[in-house]
Amino acid sequence: MIELSDVLSPGGVVLDLKASSKRQVLRALAERVAEAQGLEPGPVLEALLEREKLGTTGIGDRLAIPHAKLEGLDHLVAVFARLQTPVSFDALDDEPVDLVFLLLAPTGAAAEHLKALARVARIFRDDQLCEALRRATNPSVAFDLLTGRREPRAA
Amino acid sequence: MVEAMLIAILVGSGLLVLSILTSLVSFRVGAPLLLLFLAIGLLAGEDGPGGISYDYHAETFFVGSLALAIILFTSGFETRWHTLRAAAAPAVVLATFGVLLTAGLAGASAHYMLGLPWLEALLLGAIVGSTDAAAVFFLLRVGGINIRERVRATLEVESGSNDPMAIFLVVTLLELIVAGAGLETVGQSVALAFAVQMGLGLVMGAAGGWLIVKAINRTPLEPGLYPIAVLGSALMLFAVTGLLGGSGFLAVYVAGLVAGNTNIHGRPHLERFQEGLTWLAQIVMFLLLGLLATPSNFAEIALPVIGLALVLTVVVRPLAIGLCLLPFGFRRNEIVFMSFVGLRGAVSILLAILPIIAGLGTGQYLFNAAFIIVLVSLVVQGWSIRPFARWLGVVVPPRTGPVDRVELELPGTAHHELVVYHVTKGSPVAKGHRLPRWARPSLVVREGRSYSLHHAGRPRPDDYVYIFTSPTFIPLLDRLFASRATLTAADQEFYGDLAISASASLGALAESYGLVVDAADREVTVADFMLRQFNGRLEVGDRLVLGPLDLIARAVDDAGRVTEIGLSLARVDDTPKPEPGAIGRLSARLQRLFVGRPIRAAIRDAITNRNGRADGG
Repeated sequence: MIELSDVLSPGGVVLDLKASSKRQVLRALAERVAEAQGLEPGPVLEALLEREKLGTTGIGDRLAIPHAKLEGLDHLVAVFARLQTPVSFDALDDEPVDLVFLLLAPTGAAAEHLKALARVARIFRDDQLCEALRRATNPSVAFDLLTGRREPRAA
Repeated sequence: MVEAMLIAILVGSGLLVLSILTSLVSFRVGAPLLLLFLAIGLLAGEDGPGGISYDYHAETFFVGSLALAIILFTSGFETRWHTLRAAAAPAVVLATFGVLLTAGLAGASAHYMLGLPWLEALLLGAIVGSTDAAAVFFLLRVGGINIRERVRATLEVESGSNDPMAIFLVVTLLELIVAGAGLETVGQSVALAFAVQMGLGLVMGAAGGWLIVKAINRTPLEPGLYPIAVLGSALMLFAVTGLLGGSGFLAVYVAGLVAGNTNIHGRPHLERFQEGLTWLAQIVMFLLLGLLATPSNFAEIALPVIGLALVLTVVVRPLAIGLCLLPFGFRRNEIVFMSFVGLRGAVSILLAILPIIAGLGTGQYLFNAAFIIVLVSLVVQGWSIRPFARWLGVVVPPRTGPVDRVELELPGTAHHELVVYHVTKGSPVAKGHRLPRWARPSLVVREGRSYSLHHAGRPRPDDYVYIFTSPTFIPLLDRLFASRATLTAADQEFYGDLAISASASLGALAESYGLVVDAADREVTVADFMLRQFNGRLEVGDRLVLGPLDLIARAVDDAGRVTEIGLSLARVDDTPKPEPGAIGRLSARLQRLFVGRPIRAAIRDAITNRNGRADGG
């Protein structure tokens, strides 16, 4: 089983990211991943936008899980952001999104990619967790919540 | 004399009002409403506190037949063409072979379990051979759950169209018994009689329905007379068809279908009138049947008959349904569900009067047995159907919450309607979503005062918004005015985790998720691919297995093309599930048995596997 702590590092959690559009959110997060992994941000953003063309990754309930496969990566990486103001993600319920979990996978790791996505989707179904993430006062609390080190009720 | 009449009216209307009042209770406690009507009849009867001695079999049969004709005409009238198209073939098989099979198997069970002679046993089987249109409609529509379309349609059309077959069987068997003939005399003459009855019923019904519409649309009448004219014509058709030797019940059902799916004058009036009349017919029928019964005689036969009722529910109906539906590609959970919705109702009790009228020695016994079987069916199935449907996964979770809307028919135009929406909190409109240009409100009523749109500004929660629009746009407006649906985790799983655009190409999808698809299919859109895999007809909730992923039809247009697609990752999710308790384990095991793998999906999976499976890790 893939744990989110395998793909997300404490430094990959951003709270109150300022962005006014879906594209800005994706660019800001792409830059963050690219910097941490020593990659060019351009192709990362391109891959994410290419995936969005298939259909929005806004999954409803103000959540989004943008994701893509990327050349030159050797393991799955993720970043999580809480947005300062919700941004329209063209989600099916038309609700603007405020919690974004971005996942990138190496080209050869389709199965791990899907497993990690399924895991994120499942974790986000927990309303209590999502509310706790919205209340979290600092990134390490959010990180602990996402990786299961802290119960949502205690947050 | 006058006093006696007034007392009779008082008693009758009192029972009627009492029945209607109990409907309030029924909605609270979830008890099957029809059961309550029957119970009131029983309580008012000779064995209950009411103590009314009511023993008019022939009169009850007369009133009941009239009521049934009205109910069947209305259920045909309310059945939409696309419902019929989705379900015609399986429903017709169920309404003919299904009834025959059910009656035969139920008869055999009755022979062995109750020790009845063969002919009488088969007669009892035929009496309880058809499902009750009123009961099934009521449970499926008013029950507040949204069953998968093809399943609901099949059950509705089945229940509307299987009474004529049961009636035919009962009358035929009764004639045999009265004539003292044996089963071996059944031959060509019966087959011929069947052909004449059903053939005449069909033809007269279709022609009669067409004539009714023509006549109504051409005759200028007082508006209040239209519904009565339609009702009168339908009953005339019922009688004439019967006199000619056809099945009057089949004729009124078919006439209802034809009239209900043609542009008939004043449809909303007709629908409202018929809705009320059908309620009246149901209440009267159940009340009278309840009154007629003598429950103190039930006790001596109760145990074996309850046993027979359970055998009917658990063995006979599933067997008959399973055999009949085999060729139609239903899923296992759908067949299990349809087996379970074999509700018996007023028609069975009504038919059980016939042996008494015919003077059969076992008449009263058959009547009591049929009555108990109907009671068991209403109690067991009526109460459990909603949770059972959910458990089996045949419920389509709502995409939007409830809408508070009233439609008003406008004189002189067929293309526009006035709809009134009550703006609910949390709906897109209340949250500031713009109304499209074609849906500019003509009037906004806020706190009892009316405003033009110009003065009212944006609609606010609790406003009433009046909009002139074409009926085709109403579903779109509904989405804007609907409150948010609350989806459970299981509902979310029903629609999948991610959205895939219908116009995306299969190749791009495969590329994104490392799936293997045929080179020839790469340029096809995902929507077209799904449509092809499901042989050109999709319905909401259909799942296509694509390697490790499931593609799900989230929304489907009228032509059966998918417009929104969900992607489920459930099968790759390897999160350990919490260990279930003993009951949970049993439930899961039964669910695997009943729900199984969708047959079509399993076949598709096999095909996908042969073509090379996606990276399975």
